[in-house]
Amino acid sequence: MTADRRKLADHAAGWGFAAPAVVLIGVFGLVPVVWSFVLSLQHTDLTSPGTFAGGDNYAKLAADPLFWDAARRTLVYVVLFVPVTLALALPVAVMLNQKIRGVVFYRLAVSVPLVTSTVATGIMFSWLANPQFGLVNAALDAVGLPKQGFFTDPNQALFAVVAMTVWGWLGFAVIIYLAALQNVPKDLIEASSLDGCGRAGSFWHVELPLVAPATGFLLVWLTINGLQLFDAVYVTTKGGPLRATTVLVYHLYNEAFVSFDGGYAAAIGCAVFVVIGAFTLVQLRFNRRTSHYEAR
Amino acid sequence: MGTGLSRRAVLTMGAALLMTAACGTGSGGNGKIKVWHGYTDAEATAFGKLADRWNSAHPEQQVELVFNGGNDNVLQKTLASFASGNPPEIAYQYGSSITGLTGRPQTQDLTDLVKNDADFRWDDLFAAAREAATVDGKIYGIPALVDNLSLVYNKKLFDDAGLAHPTESWTWDDFRSAARKLTGDGRYGWAYVNDGTEDTVWRFLALLWQAGGDLLSGDGKKAAFASDAGRQAMQLLRDMAVTDKSVYLDAGDQQYLNLFNSGRVGMLWTGPWDLGVINGDVSYGVQILPGKVTHATIAGPDTFVVFGDNGRKNALPFLKWLLSAEVHLEFAMETGHLPIRQSEVELPKYAEYAEKYPGAKVFVENLEKNVTKSRPNIPQYPKISQVLGTAVQSVLLGQAEPQAALAQAAGEVDQALASS
Repeated sequence: MTADRRKLADHAAGWGFAAPAVVLIGVFGLVPVVWSFVLSLQHTDLTSPGTFAGGDNYAKLAADPLFWDAARRTLVYVVLFVPVTLALALPVAVMLNQKIRGVVFYRLAVSVPLVTSTVATGIMFSWLANPQFGLVNAALDAVGLPKQGFFTDPNQALFAVVAMTVWGWLGFAVIIYLAALQNVPKDLIEASSLDGCGRAGSFWHVELPLVAPATGFLLVWLTINGLQLFDAVYVTTKGGPLRATTVLVYHLYNEAFVSFDGGYAAAIGCAVFVVIGAFTLVQLRFNRRTSHYEAR
Repeated sequence: MGTGLSRRAVLTMGAALLMTAACGTGSGGNGKIKVWHGYTDAEATAFGKLADRWNSAHPEQQVELVFNGGNDNVLQKTLASFASGNPPEIAYQYGSSITGLTGRPQTQDLTDLVKNDADFRWDDLFAAAREAATVDGKIYGIPALVDNLSLVYNKKLFDDAGLAHPTESWTWDDFRSAARKLTGDGRYGWAYVNDGTEDTVWRFLALLWQAGGDLLSGDGKKAAFASDAGRQAMQLLRDMAVTDKSVYLDAGDQQYLNLFNSGRVGMLWTGPWDLGVINGDVSYGVQILPGKVTHATIAGPDTFVVFGDNGRKNALPFLKWLLSAEVHLEFAMETGHLPIRQSEVELPKYAEYAEKYPGAKVFVENLEKNVTKSRPNIPQYPKISQVLGTAVQSVLLGQAEPQAALAQAAGEVDQALASS
């Protein structure tokens, strides 16, 4: 057996081990992406064979006020959802990183929303936020504040969705931050305190920069998920009231599965894909430049 | 010799092949009929019993019932089954879905099969059920259920407020004033489903028809609802929801029924499906809807739609049997569904039914007298429904004036009708 053949055999073995994953990602990841793009160039109702449409669907996209409204709402949503989640998760993670009694219980409590299905979360929030009979308004009323419409008020619904999804994602962000914080070498913190840093100083100058990679990861991950927001809207407001929560993917759903304009829906999907791809590339590049610190 | 490697490779390839093969298998024909339905609880039990009885008598045309996971998204699931090449022979569909299915090669035109079979007694079915199954004069579905809206009220709340119970000569003014008097102290006079879907729209259509209006012009080419009748209907909604604040606006989570059960909502405009879910300790009455020019109500009929060659060949005998007066009355007896044919009402056993479901009487009379108009079965209807849903919602939420909301909706509907 020659060295070449051995090398070839190694290659084959490698691909053999990777094959199941490659097949799965190919079938359920790449093929649909390519197929969506092909669909976006057709007039199709998704069941009968489509006809070639060229750029029609993209032209419609550019001129569709509903699309741009949905894009604007998606932007508002992401701009609120991502920073708020990050800003809440870090302090919580720092608190859970202390040696306190019952910390395991608190950590568990924070991560419960993470394992709760969106449907259950949605139903629970709909009840809590019911304008007439919900607990939240009862509490507001008890302290003399005016009752709110939440999911039923076109001016508040999107913010209610932000609040609900922040609650749902907080546990995930906390776990990532907690892992990053636990990875910060103790000797660095000790050294900083010998150099005269207080607790706040150590946090600002040592811990925060060292968890920057986690922040970068969460920023990308939460943004991608924010741009793809759908299920939380579907189980609470169905895009309403008065389209106030019709974000991009919900608009896509309406076009594809209510109006059965498959080609146009695919074009929306491709637009979202391009935005996510571009954002992720920029963010990864930026991350690589700013994450000088390596936590071991 | 590297045999271990090749075996691994072969195994992987084999697994991949198996996966593709598994996707390709469909149900073979041979007279087996797959029926997608959304029945649960008592309905599912009763439907299952009937299917068993059919199966033991017809070994060559076996029926297999498959729960569709709930009717709300069954149109989407049916279309997905077309795409995968494995549709059921029969699927239960909402009436408003039928135009989403006609024109597809899988959907069967049943006109000649039904019309040439005198035993089917098509004309004996209630008109609302027949119209929902007919598109452009062709029969594309077999009626599965026929509902309509009536006024369901909590007797105790009326008595406590010192109000006379609703009568069949109630006007909109009587209705509005009763709702206002029932409201207060955490209670609402009426509930309206305000999620902007067809659930929002069909109650508005009843109002529109009561005021003497129409949805579309006679030739079906233009919106006709931005009329004086339409404005009056919208104005009533606005007066009650915004001015009187006597309406609980249900966001689509169907809490209105729980609130009716707990005495928080005094009146509902609802169908027989809700009667079975009203708590035993709530004493309720059923009355026809209040009137303006007429006391029109709206039917919400559902249909069984038939797919594929096997469905065409084998589905009809089962559906025909299911819809025969005796069998359907038996089903109605166990589920509280309304009779679906005129002749059911004339069967001796109907007296037993009427006694078991006292509330059903009004709904059945409605079918005979007050279901005078129906939603148009045209492909643009989903779009019209979407547009009107938004208009009604904006009025209920106090975000738009009736006239302006109607004018805008009419413009969008005209555009939708013109562009196709």
